[in-house]
Amino acid sequence: MINGRARAFLRLLTVQGAWSFERMTGVGIGYAAEPLLEDLKSADPGRHAEAAVRSAEYFNSHPYLAGLALGALVRAEYDFVPGPQVARLRAALCSPLGALGDQLFWIGLVPAMMAMAIVGVVAGLGLWSLIAVVAVYNVVRLWTGMWALNTGLATGTRVGAAIGASWLPVAAGRAGLAAGGLIGLALPLSADWLLDGGSSRGVMLAVLTILGGLGLGWRLGPRITSVRFGLMAIGLAATLAWGLG
Amino acid sequence: MIPLPPAMLLGLTAWGTFAGLDLVSLLQGLFSRPLVAAAGAGLLLNDPEAGLRVGVLLELFALDVLPVGAARYPDYGPGVVAAVVLVSGTSWSQSLGLATLFALGWAALGGWSLQWLRQANGRGLARNAAGLAAGDAGTVARLQREGLLGDLIRSLLLTTIGLALALLLRRHLVLTARFELVTAVAIGAGVAAAAGGAIRSAGRGARLRWLLAGVMVGLLVAVLR
Repeated sequence: MINGRARAFLRLLTVQGAWSFERMTGVGIGYAAEPLLEDLKSADPGRHAEAAVRSAEYFNSHPYLAGLALGALVRAEYDFVPGPQVARLRAALCSPLGALGDQLFWIGLVPAMMAMAIVGVVAGLGLWSLIAVVAVYNVVRLWTGMWALNTGLATGTRVGAAIGASWLPVAAGRAGLAAGGLIGLALPLSADWLLDGGSSRGVMLAVLTILGGLGLGWRLGPRITSVRFGLMAIGLAATLAWGLG
Repeated sequence: MIPLPPAMLLGLTAWGTFAGLDLVSLLQGLFSRPLVAAAGAGLLLNDPEAGLRVGVLLELFALDVLPVGAARYPDYGPGVVAAVVLVSGTSWSQSLGLATLFALGWAALGGWSLQWLRQANGRGLARNAAGLAAGDAGTVARLQREGLLGDLIRSLLLTTIGLALALLLRRHLVLTARFELVTAVAIGAGVAAAAGGAIRSAGRGARLRWLLAGVMVGLLVAVLR
């Protein structure tokens, strides 16, 4: 049984706190690893010193799933897995944990939950829909973080197989479908809610802007971000509104 | 325009700063999302309607954003809080477009400020190279604390300056019916942003079918309402 889980979990909530281009979340992982490696200090001071150096080296993954890597790496240190193999495990976990976490959370659950919140607001549930969404999301987020840390600590170098057999890949696929459906639902409802009571000229202008935005996006691809397009279109409209005054 | 009481300003500053921290450094529990940040600001201002209108519109822009690792992405929280101050107490149909313009500009600046913070964190690594090479736990803890403190200061500055600008604009802005058209353009731009992002994420597989089904149901509900 490895001690220090609670402190490590709390520290994982700030795993991106010292994010840098050089080590990405490496320092955050090192900071979270420190309480878990505490017992190794008395058992084998030499190994502890090596593990402490390795723990803060370059690492990047989805922040919610970083516990899987942290737990597995710490367990590997306690199992006296050779140092170069621990380093290889660390490097090997970056991409899959990043891709899986992005699919499940950033492209799946987050847009799905926010679209659900929009639908709730538009349906007249107001702040209650938001409170419910934030509460449910944070329960999922915290539970995932704890599950990740415990799974990593339990499996060590077998963490890859544990991830593959876990609920994560299935949930990532389903969250993506839910996000697609809920965003689709939220789009017309939010437009209707925001334009409600507006003049027909305003509705026409909004429709033209939607078509223009989609057309520009299709022509220019990622070069025209939503923020750039928004700044351009609204900036032009505001300038015209002032000028006409 | 009635000035805001100091306690309200303090609350807004704390909320905007928390929203900024939640984006990357702390928890990442949806508090930096425009809808959540704006609703909180609306509550603090005793104007939940303003918060929800600003929040829903800016959330449409944010649905297009993928906050992945090294990429530069907008930081909506602090600017959204300031945008709610701009809309609060006005006719939202006239002020929402300008508030959106303000929030988008501030979100872009917030994105740049994150890059500067990350570069500063990198310089901290270089200064502490010896401690890191020795596996010194104190060095790692100090770097982590400095990074968090840097993000706290970044978020606080973005929120404070954003609020000051919003209050200044609120005092001097003369809103007329013409600005309803600016709001209409902002709504169109938000819907285009969310739709464009949704189509890109959907690809050509099952997610696209779910997206189309959602749009059809949404249109039906909107027509029947």
